[in-house]
Amino acid sequence: MASLEIRLHGRGGQGGVTCAKILAAVWAGLGKSVQTFGDYAGERSGAPVRAYTRVSDEPIDDRNKVYEPHHLLVLDPTLLGEHVLQGLRPGGTLLLNTEEPIEAFGDRFLRHRLAVVDATAIARRRKIGTRSVVIVNTTIAGAFVRAAGLPFEALEAAYRRLGFTGNLDAAREAWDAVAIREARDVDAKAPVFAPPATAPVLPLVAHVEGAPTGLRTGSWRSQTPRYVHALAPCSAFCPAGNDVIGFVQAVAEGGAQQASEVLARTTPLAGVCGRVCPAFCMEGCNRREHDGAVDVRALERWIADTAPIAPRAERASAAPRRFAIVGGGPAGLSAAFELARHGHEATVFDGERALGGVLRTGIPSYRLPRAALDREIEALLALGVKTSLGAFLDRDRVAALAREWDAVILATGLQRLRGVTERDDLPGVEQGIRFLHRVNMEGSVRVTGHVVVLGGGNTAMDCARVAVRAGASRVTVAYRRGREEMPAIRDEVAEAEQEGVVFELLRQPLGFEGDERVRGVVLAEVELGPPDASGRRSPVVTDRRSTLSCDHVLLALGQTADLRLLPEGWALREGRAFARDAPVNVFAAGDLATGDGTVAHAIGDGRRVARLAMRAVGPELAEVEELRRPDRARAVAATEIRFDHFPKSPPLGERHVPADVRVRGFDEVNLGVGDPAAAAHRCCSCGECTRCDSCLVYCPEGIIRREAGGYAIDLEYCKGCGICVTECPRAAITLKTPKEMHA
Amino acid sequence: MSANEPILGGMAQTAADRSTPLLRPGNSNCGGCGMSVGLQFLSRAIAGTPVQLVIPACCAAVAAGPFPTSGYGAPVFSSTFASAAAVATGLAHVARLNGEKTRVVCFVGDGGTYDIGMATVSAAAERDEDLLYVCYDNEIYGNTGGQRSSATPRGATTTTTPRGSELEKKDILAIMAAHRVPYVASISLAHPDDALRKLRFALDAKGFRFVHMLAPCPTGWKSEPADSIELIRLAVRSGLYAVYEVFEGSRVVINVEPEHSDAALERYLGMQGRFRKSGVELASVRAGVERSWRELRARSALGGPG
Amino acid sequence: MTTELLSANHAAAAAAALAGRANRVGRGFGGGVYPITPQSECMERLCDERFDKGQVVRVESEHSAMAVCIGFSIAGARAFTASSSNGLAYMTENVFTAAMSRLPIVMMAVNRSLGPPWNIWAEHGDTLMLRDAGWVQLYCEDNQEVLDSILTAFRLAEDRRVLLPVMVCQDAFILSHTMTPTDVPSQETVDAFLPPLDLPHRLSDRPRTVGALDGPRETEVPRAEMQRAMDDVPRVYAEVQGAFEATFGRRLADPVVPYRMDDAEIALVSIGTTAATVRAVVDEARARGVRVGGVRIRMFRPFPEDTLRQLLSRCTRVGVLDRDLAPGQGGIVWSEVRPAAPQGSIVQNYIVGLGGGDIRPKDVARILDDLCARERAGKPQFVEVG
Repeated sequence: MASLEIRLHGRGGQGGVTCAKILAAVWAGLGKSVQTFGDYAGERSGAPVRAYTRVSDEPIDDRNKVYEPHHLLVLDPTLLGEHVLQGLRPGGTLLLNTEEPIEAFGDRFLRHRLAVVDATAIARRRKIGTRSVVIVNTTIAGAFVRAAGLPFEALEAAYRRLGFTGNLDAAREAWDAVAIREARDVDAKAPVFAPPATAPVLPLVAHVEGAPTGLRTGSWRSQTPRYVHALAPCSAFCPAGNDVIGFVQAVAEGGAQQASEVLARTTPLAGVCGRVCPAFCMEGCNRREHDGAVDVRALERWIADTAPIAPRAERASAAPRRFAIVGGGPAGLSAAFELARHGHEATVFDGERALGGVLRTGIPSYRLPRAALDREIEALLALGVKTSLGAFLDRDRVAALAREWDAVILATGLQRLRGVTERDDLPGVEQGIRFLHRVNMEGSVRVTGHVVVLGGGNTAMDCARVAVRAGASRVTVAYRRGREEMPAIRDEVAEAEQEGVVFELLRQPLGFEGDERVRGVVLAEVELGPPDASGRRSPVVTDRRSTLSCDHVLLALGQTADLRLLPEGWALREGRAFARDAPVNVFAAGDLATGDGTVAHAIGDGRRVARLAMRAVGPELAEVEELRRPDRARAVAATEIRFDHFPKSPPLGERHVPADVRVRGFDEVNLGVGDPAAAAHRCCSCGECTRCDSCLVYCPEGIIRREAGGYAIDLEYCKGCGICVTECPRAAITLKTPKEMHA
Repeated sequence: MSANEPILGGMAQTAADRSTPLLRPGNSNCGGCGMSVGLQFLSRAIAGTPVQLVIPACCAAVAAGPFPTSGYGAPVFSSTFASAAAVATGLAHVARLNGEKTRVVCFVGDGGTYDIGMATVSAAAERDEDLLYVCYDNEIYGNTGGQRSSATPRGATTTTTPRGSELEKKDILAIMAAHRVPYVASISLAHPDDALRKLRFALDAKGFRFVHMLAPCPTGWKSEPADSIELIRLAVRSGLYAVYEVFEGSRVVINVEPEHSDAALERYLGMQGRFRKSGVELASVRAGVERSWRELRARSALGGPG
Repeated sequence: MTTELLSANHAAAAAAALAGRANRVGRGFGGGVYPITPQSECMERLCDERFDKGQVVRVESEHSAMAVCIGFSIAGARAFTASSSNGLAYMTENVFTAAMSRLPIVMMAVNRSLGPPWNIWAEHGDTLMLRDAGWVQLYCEDNQEVLDSILTAFRLAEDRRVLLPVMVCQDAFILSHTMTPTDVPSQETVDAFLPPLDLPHRLSDRPRTVGALDGPRETEVPRAEMQRAMDDVPRVYAEVQGAFEATFGRRLADPVVPYRMDDAEIALVSIGTTAATVRAVVDEARARGVRVGGVRIRMFRPFPEDTLRQLLSRCTRVGVLDRDLAPGQGGIVWSEVRPAAPQGSIVQNYIVGLGGGDIRPKDVARILDDLCARERAGKPQFVEVG
């Protein structure tokens, strides 16, 4: 009989020639005469390659290539053009390596027996070859043996014959996975293929200017690079929802004004956060892994001080709505900011004579100078936010507001204070919050003797440091866990210590001594047990006790929400009030709703709830986008940053007034960043292109060009090597498979 | 400022850059080819200077494409394997005799330099011909399918050293510096600013200039094409690839101080199938690296190994 | 014009220098040179010549000598080198490259035995080995012809219809080191004879690859162009002969040089200096009434088959003297001449003078006797000389 002829079309590096050899070995093992060979040229990884196999019962003496194959194997779907199909006999098997299911081929190739397998996916999963050049010879062989109706054992025998050891599992998977559709229309007229046009060969001995080769190497590609905006961890970690990377990069590129405009889109209180935020952004900063986090907090403060935040209404609402906001703290101000930006009327009700809430009543001025706070509140008022100050608010008033206004947002913070015993009213014992309120709102408060502060949060640190400034001869902080577990901002703890505050750690307060006035605090020693729900090791109180004698005790044991403002029968769910399960247009934002406890959280939640409220009050506002809490898990990881690109230069940090000077008064102790440009230039800009030219400079093909403020890749020629992706210092490019490209 | 941004000082695609690339899109080199990256660097160094290239039989010659097309944006003579420096000698003299500013550049692989072309390149260096000779070293005969050359490092499997080469790589820079030519340098593809500075200097200088670049071959090294630059970075950090220049055969300047990092060396070896397959011991590679550095430090008159 | 007592080596160098200087109005002159006996005198003299716009490069091998010429030539300069024997063998791949690149390089080749045994004397196998390299090959009989052929070679090679390299061959020592009075033309006359080279495909500043990797079709077409250029060579050569005579006042030898062939029935065919000895034997035999003539093949490539067929058309016996041997085949000249001889004629091959053996008239006379006595042609005959 005449030979059975097989032709393979693949790309350099896919293993097409070896695949043809495997098929020959299969039939040789079945006692047939075989012949197999490849086309040899200057083939390169990715370039089109052909290979052939002949099988016969007789010795084979045909030395030509295969022009009319019985079987055609196409190892790369991008090769599937008419010239590849040329000569395939009717009824012959056409095996395609493709991501497409067999149904996707519809009426195509009806004259042929169609076999389809995603050999690349199988081989890629099994890491055969490299990410960009996947070797599919074994998977294709497995699929073809099945399509040819041969037993899998024949392939196993061929493997043994060739001395191959690996990848038989991949062949088996392809053997199982291949889908086959029988030929239906064998008698249909064969397509007529036009022979490829051959250009006349120019004479050598003439002046000829060589044009580019015109080789469309883009078809060699199995993966495609794409520029992306990936989430930076600083932005992902910011509870306020600030575009952290945006404002830091704006400092680097354009300076304070540009950065201020970025901030003004998400926060009215950048100057506040730039002073009092625990800086979750810096906790997430990938540069911590390299040489220290970028001084983001100090930069935010510098921006707000240099180019004050000037929020602008983004749009004028066609039908402005009226919102009442109860509480002038950070959550309320942020909600008002968001509403005013959207063109609505926002009125803030507060019992104090000035806006700011805890920012004004709680935080001491050496941390947050009043001028900085006032400036940002004034800017907010300039945006059109209205106020109703000195207002008395209770649940009846709230119920009335709910009736009179389009919506009410409650943002009253944490008003219930924790205590130690029923003797918390003993003279000399005072809630820290009240103490701070006195200091902040009444001024010139003096204390004498030994002050003991109970607690380990920021209020405790504020109390202790204020006590130092207010005349205490000695200040002790007693906290029931260890230093690592203290919720206070780490720098605050360190600064308190520098100012002479003594820490009694692992001490649980049990009660007070003294009859008319406190004379001491009874403390029990604590041992740390296993971690609790918060991840911190839980304190286990022992029976070892001691008394710390003192003159004053300030309680800073935490605060909780006071929900007594809600009318009877109402409950809060996900920031919205429900009257017996029916939603009402009353919302709760900030600590009242979440208890998260930081200004940044309050700002983020204020805006988020403001949007919920807007969406709730009118169908015309449905297009207002919901704000979601950033997903930290999606942020660019430190392992994705190419730190070699960034020479080590540790952060310069914030500058502080020396401890012995600062304790003399209430002037601001933190002087902020010294060289903001240098600090900003340390930012790796994780996930966000900075036009650093790395992709452009390292591209082997020279096909990346600057375009529209970024870069464009000429996909006609991109071979998909992925160097641009690997070399991007900041993970702002990724490789996508064709399937991902479609998605 | 601390960041290297933008790299090359932002000169890419500006008036200071070459208006059309030296290696054009649509060339037939494999994806992730280090030699291609080297040509992009060279292109930037050349910028507006008229050049003529001589490329002997090697992958770079295949990239020239079939007549009458040209994979290069410059005139190229594709010479016999051993002849690049000799053909370039003729071209350079004609340019000089005619008062032309044309710079003649040989672009040659390791086979054409370390092995078959050694006599030719040595003679051209000895004659101090006015040439820039760039050796892109992929440490194998890549164009013929990956056979061992005298640039193949210890431990690398090739098609002719299936169990790993047991020989140390030839120290081509020392050989070339011993010709006392005006300029000999190695460049790192992972250090584009340093590489560009040296390529520009080498292009403009008079007499024989030799520039060596370690050029990853993903196909032959069995490495991820995307990792080609990272491999060079690791080679430099580990001390495996010394980045330095030698003026007039005597004054040695080390441009990038390595960390002599074993972690980098381990990653370098681990990322390449050619070393994984032979299972070469890190210590044996490290010993060769240290010896090279001792010799280099001695030549740079700084004493002792680093 | 002056007449100098010159060896053929020096005559070749003088001619190359004149031709090189003539291109000072073009892109200059150059070449790589490397010593080998018996060519060294030529490159030594060339190294002593002065050029306003030229450079002779002392390279490290013949391989590079030709490579340097390729560089000069592809840059548009006139290029020359000289070699011999093993030097040519070492140079070989670049000899092919020069022709396939269509570069009008001129090389003077001194015919010398290829060792081992190491032998420095005359034999033609070294250049005949390169007969398929794509070069025009001219074999000379005397010193003047060497000088004239070098000048001619440049004009022929550089003609737009040709653009092929030319090899001018001469016998080791018999010519190379033998001094005879030789007319050396003035620079002005050579300038007039050799216009500046304008190579159409020279490298400029525009993209162009010479020597790219190509497929079958891009290979067969330029090969066919080479064959057509070779086909044009006799016509161009005839034109050059006319120009040469007009410029220098003497006749340049034809591609095939017959001697007393008008009525010859017997022909003795040879190349190089053997032809002179053949002439002496022809005269002696003619005196005895033998209708014999001599044929010297001066141009071996392109092979002048038509001219030979015409010259040999009345011959019944053709003796071909080969100072070369293709083992397993015989004489190379014989194998190429055979198809040009008339049907039915006796064409006998004589291998003579290998390793520089001095081919004397008595040796050729013995060959003639053998040829006349033959009833049919036999295997190539080895003729001992001395």
